[in-house]
Amino acid sequence: MFLITELIAFLCGNLILNQALGISTMFTAAKDRKNLIGTAAVITIFTTFASAFACFIDLIFPQTDIRLLLYVVAVGIIYIGLLFGLKKFSGKNFVKYRKYIHISAFNCAVMGTVFTIGGTAENAGFFRYISAGIEAGAGFVLASLILTAAYKRLDSEKVPPSFRGFPAMLVYLGIISMALYALK
Amino acid sequence: MNKDKFSVFDGLWKDNTILSALMVISPVIVCGNTLRNALAIIYAFSAITLFSVVIASFVPKNLPYTIRTIINAAIASLVYIPVKHMAVGFFPDVIPRTGIYFPLLAVNSIIILHTESKFFKMKKPEMIGSLVFYILGFDLIMLIISVIREIFGHGTLNENVININFISGLSEPFGGFVLLGLLCGLYRKMRSGNRISGGDKNVSDN
Repeated sequence: MFLITELIAFLCGNLILNQALGISTMFTAAKDRKNLIGTAAVITIFTTFASAFACFIDLIFPQTDIRLLLYVVAVGIIYIGLLFGLKKFSGKNFVKYRKYIHISAFNCAVMGTVFTIGGTAENAGFFRYISAGIEAGAGFVLASLILTAAYKRLDSEKVPPSFRGFPAMLVYLGIISMALYALK
Repeated sequence: MNKDKFSVFDGLWKDNTILSALMVISPVIVCGNTLRNALAIIYAFSAITLFSVVIASFVPKNLPYTIRTIINAAIASLVYIPVKHMAVGFFPDVIPRTGIYFPLLAVNSIIILHTESKFFKMKKPEMIGSLVFYILGFDLIMLIISVIREIFGHGTLNENVININFISGLSEPFGGFVLLGLLCGLYRKMRSGNRISGGDKNVSDN
């Protein structure tokens, strides 16, 4: 029962299904498992590290408009760091995998997470920021899995051509989001 | 789209930011539920995107793609500051309601992705013309969706009560998802739906 309650709370706090952040990246991620793993891993790294940076930014510059610029600089540092790290450790696969970093860097899922955490976890401490960043990444994985489960059907010949793909997926996400709204 | 002849008007309808490319849809789904919200978002999106892309077009092209992307985002973050201060004067009651979506407009896909892949490959006058129509395309759809959601979700228009049976769920984010999905389908149908199957080619990353 405790696990179910926790799961419901986790779902209800999902940034993608409740706040529509990072939808189009999720559409890309849900296409196949390989994309899902790559994108979800990079998004989680971005949200976690960006949240760590955000903790210090929020501490030094609380509620100022310059925070956006500082968040951008922080994400920029992570962006460059990840590309260097990938180049060093993946060798020949660098070209193959760097797309996940490029599509994730200034994504709404990442920037939205940093702003949302900034609004809820201020004065909550460094580890709250880190855990909120990991939660946001896990939320992205969960939402992508929910979409992956229906992706092939929503993109199949059985769906009228005009609604095939994204339009059907948006309606599907709307229904999932409505169910979560009812659970709140 | 790429096979067809390019026109600066593409962004208004043919390659619409919201309905065709599914870009910048988060503020439409969450904040696009009243006309007042829509006007504030339209003002911020238009001002930030126009000034940011024009200023970013002066960034040297010989810098690596990653550095240029970060600089473009930083320019938009700086443009955001005066835009927000003016918005507080124009829409004092709306800005708190838009929450995180207001600053997120500064890192929208047009600034982060379209600048490098599309706008910066054009000559400056052509780029500005095309950019204006991309912005107008977003503004138009944002306005239409917000008016529909305010009338049928709140039973009001510009906060004036209309005698209509309304569906309160339409003003919630899930209502935004469903309405946007239906409008995307309708848009494809209008653009000869059979020609576009799947449509995944146009997906944005933001």
